[in-house]
Amino acid sequence: MSKVIIIGAGPAGLSAAITIAENGLNVLVIDEYMKPGGRLLGQLYEEPNGNWWNGIKESQNLFDKAVSTGVEIKLQTPVSNIEESNGIWNVYTEDEVYTTSHLLLATGAAEAPLPIPGWTLPGVMSVGAAQVMTNVHRVKPGERGVIVGVNVLSSAIAMELKLAGIDVAAITLPKMNMVTKESGNPLDVMNSLLHVSHMAPSAFVKMGSKLMKNDFLKRMGITFFPKNGVKMWDIPIMLRKAVVEIYGESQVEGVTIATISPSGDIIPGTEENIAADFVCIAGGLYPLAELAAVAGCPFYHVEELGGYVPLHNERMETVLEGLYVAGNITGIEGAKVAISQGVTAGLAIVNSTDGGKQEAKLNDSIKAIEETRNKAYIQFHPDVKAGKQKLQNYWNEHWKAVVSQ
Amino acid sequence: MIICRCEEVTYGELVETADKYGCSPRELKLRTRAGMGYCGGRTCRNAVDSIAHSSTKRDVSQITLKYQPPIRPISFSKLGGVGNND
Repeated sequence: MSKVIIIGAGPAGLSAAITIAENGLNVLVIDEYMKPGGRLLGQLYEEPNGNWWNGIKESQNLFDKAVSTGVEIKLQTPVSNIEESNGIWNVYTEDEVYTTSHLLLATGAAEAPLPIPGWTLPGVMSVGAAQVMTNVHRVKPGERGVIVGVNVLSSAIAMELKLAGIDVAAITLPKMNMVTKESGNPLDVMNSLLHVSHMAPSAFVKMGSKLMKNDFLKRMGITFFPKNGVKMWDIPIMLRKAVVEIYGESQVEGVTIATISPSGDIIPGTEENIAADFVCIAGGLYPLAELAAVAGCPFYHVEELGGYVPLHNERMETVLEGLYVAGNITGIEGAKVAISQGVTAGLAIVNSTDGGKQEAKLNDSIKAIEETRNKAYIQFHPDVKAGKQKLQNYWNEHWKAVVSQ
Repeated sequence: MIICRCEEVTYGELVETADKYGCSPRELKLRTRAGMGYCGGRTCRNAVDSIAHSSTKRDVSQITLKYQPPIRPISFSKLGGVGNND
């Protein structure tokens, strides 16, 4: 049979490649970036057991293992289109068209922007870009930054910037508008932060979050939230301030912030300026599913999974013959879940080529995803499991409809 | 405030258009050209989608703004295949 093709050399794509190669099939992994690892490259944090999760090292390990099992990896090769004809998938890159009977999309996630006046100035970047500059390329995005958007990703990256000796003046909210919505609402932001409070380095925050069980206490909490923020890693996290404008002549010179009400309305006359030479926008992640869309996969919008996800089952099969998905394209979760999903997708592909010899392993790997999910240190959405269940229901409905036609 | 950088469509124009016509994201895109520039909507897609969904209900079973190949920039000569100089 032809080579299996995997698009995306992140944790999901590489673990799938290793699984498939270990079972004796040829694999080609294609990635648009210059280094293997995907978003895993930028990650750096301390786990509860005191071990450091270093994305660069984890990526290198996966890459080395893939290469040693005979996986072929093509970097700096963007895929511009995929198309199925007569049971064969054509994968279009700039210079070549590759073909395969089994194609895995492991394209990961992209960052959603939060538009703020002045966001087109040089020096404004997504928080993920600042992470890659700092941790991967070892280039400081600036001397002093402001992070706009308070969420799991932005607080983790704030700490990474701090570790690299970059001053983070504040993490704060964007001014509420029709795009920023919940990201600009202090109460919504606090709610979304409560489920990650176990990660907070401050005992005060951990304890406080336990008390915030009901809506009344939450409202009290946000009403009395210190206007100058609560410090984490020495960075003020300001839930009652919002950036109303990023200013600067020809590049970022600072941001104007104002105090906001618990529901996100600007309190006039409270504006003040914070000097900064770069601004990070943190609008959260969404599944990067462009290729599944051009391929013609049905899609569902599942809030808990971060946006539109291609319809797939727990074996990582889409409804299209020979097309599989794994990693953040199936919903926003941590790298460890992505690695587990890659194993399942890999086994599903092997299983379809060897007449179902992998059934037992495949079922075990599906359970392993669930276990990894349960143990995950970082959860991007508290109800990710409910989101997965929704998708499973859509899958069942889809096939019921197909059968009855 | 610019939302679509390629076609220079502002937040104000988008909100006004969405308000006036009660547009779906696709209609909002077609009326304003937001998301129709050379980046293929890779920067503003979510913003256009959000603004339209402030006044219309989301159909969870449909991608609101269609993706079309090529999904990454590619030169005309490469897209057209070989022998373009002939």
